[in-house]
Amino acid sequence: MTPEHITLNGASTDLIGIIDTVDVPIVVVRRDLVIAFFNKAAADVLGFSTSDIGRLPRDIPVLGGLPRLEERCSQVIASGVDCRADFREGDKWFVVRISPYPNADRQVTGTVLTFTNVTAFRASIDQAIYERECTKAILNTVADPLVVLSADQRIQSGNRAFYTMFGVSRDETQGVPLYDLGNGAFDLAPLRQQLIAMLANGHAFQPVEVDHAFTAKGQRTALLDAHPLSFPGHSEHRVLVTFQDITARKQAEAARDLRSEEELGRSEAFLAEGQRLSLTGSFSWMVPTDDITWSEQLYRIFEFDPGTPVTIERINSRVHPEDMPMMNERIERARAGGPDFEFSPRLLMPDGSVKYVNAIAHRSRDAEGRLEYIGAVQDVTQRRMSEDALEKARSELAKIARVTSLGVLTASIAHEVNQPLSGIITNASTCLRMLDADPPNVDGARETARRTIRDGNRASDVITRLRALFSKKEFTFELLDLNEVTREVIALSLSDLQRNRVALQLELAEDLPTITGDRIQLQQVILNLLRNASDAMVDVHDRPRQLLVRTEREDGDRVRVSVRDAGVGVDPRSMNKLFDAFYTTKSDGMGIGLSVSRSIIEGHQGRLWAESNDGPGATFSFSIPSGPESVTNAAPR
Amino acid sequence: MMGKRSLVSVVDDDESVRESLPDLLREFGFAAEAFSSAEAFLASDVVSDTSCLLLDIAMPGMSGPELQQELIRRQQEIPIVFITAQGDKAVRPRLLAHGAVECLLKPFSETALLAAVNTALRMRSE
Repeated sequence: MTPEHITLNGASTDLIGIIDTVDVPIVVVRRDLVIAFFNKAAADVLGFSTSDIGRLPRDIPVLGGLPRLEERCSQVIASGVDCRADFREGDKWFVVRISPYPNADRQVTGTVLTFTNVTAFRASIDQAIYERECTKAILNTVADPLVVLSADQRIQSGNRAFYTMFGVSRDETQGVPLYDLGNGAFDLAPLRQQLIAMLANGHAFQPVEVDHAFTAKGQRTALLDAHPLSFPGHSEHRVLVTFQDITARKQAEAARDLRSEEELGRSEAFLAEGQRLSLTGSFSWMVPTDDITWSEQLYRIFEFDPGTPVTIERINSRVHPEDMPMMNERIERARAGGPDFEFSPRLLMPDGSVKYVNAIAHRSRDAEGRLEYIGAVQDVTQRRMSEDALEKARSELAKIARVTSLGVLTASIAHEVNQPLSGIITNASTCLRMLDADPPNVDGARETARRTIRDGNRASDVITRLRALFSKKEFTFELLDLNEVTREVIALSLSDLQRNRVALQLELAEDLPTITGDRIQLQQVILNLLRNASDAMVDVHDRPRQLLVRTEREDGDRVRVSVRDAGVGVDPRSMNKLFDAFYTTKSDGMGIGLSVSRSIIEGHQGRLWAESNDGPGATFSFSIPSGPESVTNAAPR
Repeated sequence: MMGKRSLVSVVDDDESVRESLPDLLREFGFAAEAFSSAEAFLASDVVSDTSCLLLDIAMPGMSGPELQQELIRRQQEIPIVFITAQGDKAVRPRLLAHGAVECLLKPFSETALLAAVNTALRMRSE
């Protein structure tokens, strides 16, 4: 503390001590404008020293930042009124207050300069300004209009997009109710009610769609959303309202809706065309309500006027009376919640024509769990007619085949008879020549004559064997048990088989269905197979002459008879020739054999074939359809 | 008959033919051999000596026409007279077109047989 301090109005040392503890620099300028006093903070912060006492402020460099200081001091002394000035020292900012300094007599004897450090305050203000400018820049770059409303929904401020969009200025709209915008286009109840509810109770805001002709962009759809704004230390609530331009989105949605409608339309057209081409209609039948929905094609099939209501009664009016029991039974079963069903009723049309349809229905439940059948009905009249035509053609073909097999039979007979005849003529010729020789070859002639007789007998045998076939002009079809037919044949040939030392084994299926056929013909086939098998084992001496005759039920409702031998087997190369009319491996035998057997089996809608066994020998089998069906093709309906 | 007698071979699976035809051929003055199959004939040692072949059409194993093809392949060009009990005249032109000398339908007369064999032998000597 310097003595100069004390000279100032005789302030006590105590007071000076107190002033020195204040960290605000204080400088006293006398009436004559010389520095009379400074406190410790002035020394510490502004660098005042004792040598500054008695000097003019202009001579103190640190006060150079306070222009016109002496003039201001004079004014304060003269007026007795404070004044302020901003002052900067280095990176510190001060607010300098210049106050009159009265003495005890209330005479102003000088001025007191207090330096309040506002550096931190100033920085926060700068920051706030900076933040505000940034926010403003950001808001102004947002393309969507934004506007802040006061609690009474008046416009406070908007971003650039807001003013541009509505073609208004900040001044024009400041304090104007939102609902006045665009000639009242936004004075909408849902908007107003929601804004008030949000401001009052903080209710969430449901965006509101508004179509409006905006000054800047023309007719647009805007989605208005609102968010409450509250500021710490401010009791007043404000609202930020955003306008989102959703015109493009709405257009895209509309286009998509249109497109999917088109696609739906197209697939419906496809379906209708598909139904038309396939002659298939579809339906749905809601069982509890009897609501029936039909496709266009189904109306066409039933020849009902398109779109007219369909009832079970109306459908029944078209069903062929003979098929009504089947129809009723199906309907009843469906009403009881029966499973998926399929049936093929006939329809009797008003013009008396008959349609064949196939109906198929799938059981399902609708969203509410109600029983519903969804199905399809196909008009198969055409197909049915072509099937009938095909059937007719097939039976005619079968007739032709029978005629042809007669031709084959004739050729077989000729072959069988011509062989011995050839021998007879040749032998007789030889015989004559031998007798005509000089001297006559009587022994040779006798031998050839003997051969002639033998060949003659052979020819006669052939005729005898064929007699059964000649005598029968037509097939007699009857229901037959093939086991019984087989047993009869075996009974007839048992002695033959025993003579040939054949070990016969029978495996006759117990559950064999009946077939329709000609007993004698089928027995001839079986007999032929038995003889062939027996003959094939004549030269077998090193193993049992096993013969297995088996009957069995085949898949597809057929019955099979097979004859398995342990004989010499069939040369695989000859397998396909076996059934040729003129093919034989035997010099004497049944002769016509397999060719005729095959004709007979084919006449029964069956087939006859041969296989080589895994072991020795071969198996000959035939299979024919069971039941009365086979008769339909064999005999004209 | 002077010098070596022409050999006529018979191939037929029918036994009565094999028995009767060679005797008649011998009565005609030819040498005769009989075989029950085409394979047996091919395996024999008389193939190249055979001047005329009396050949059945349908036989187990190799058929008559197949033997004909096999002989052509082996360059054994033996004149062939087919004999068949088939009784189908339609096969004759086809067989003749394929180089057969004649096709005799069983039963045939000794005159027809002799004429056919003689034709074959003339072709053989040409």
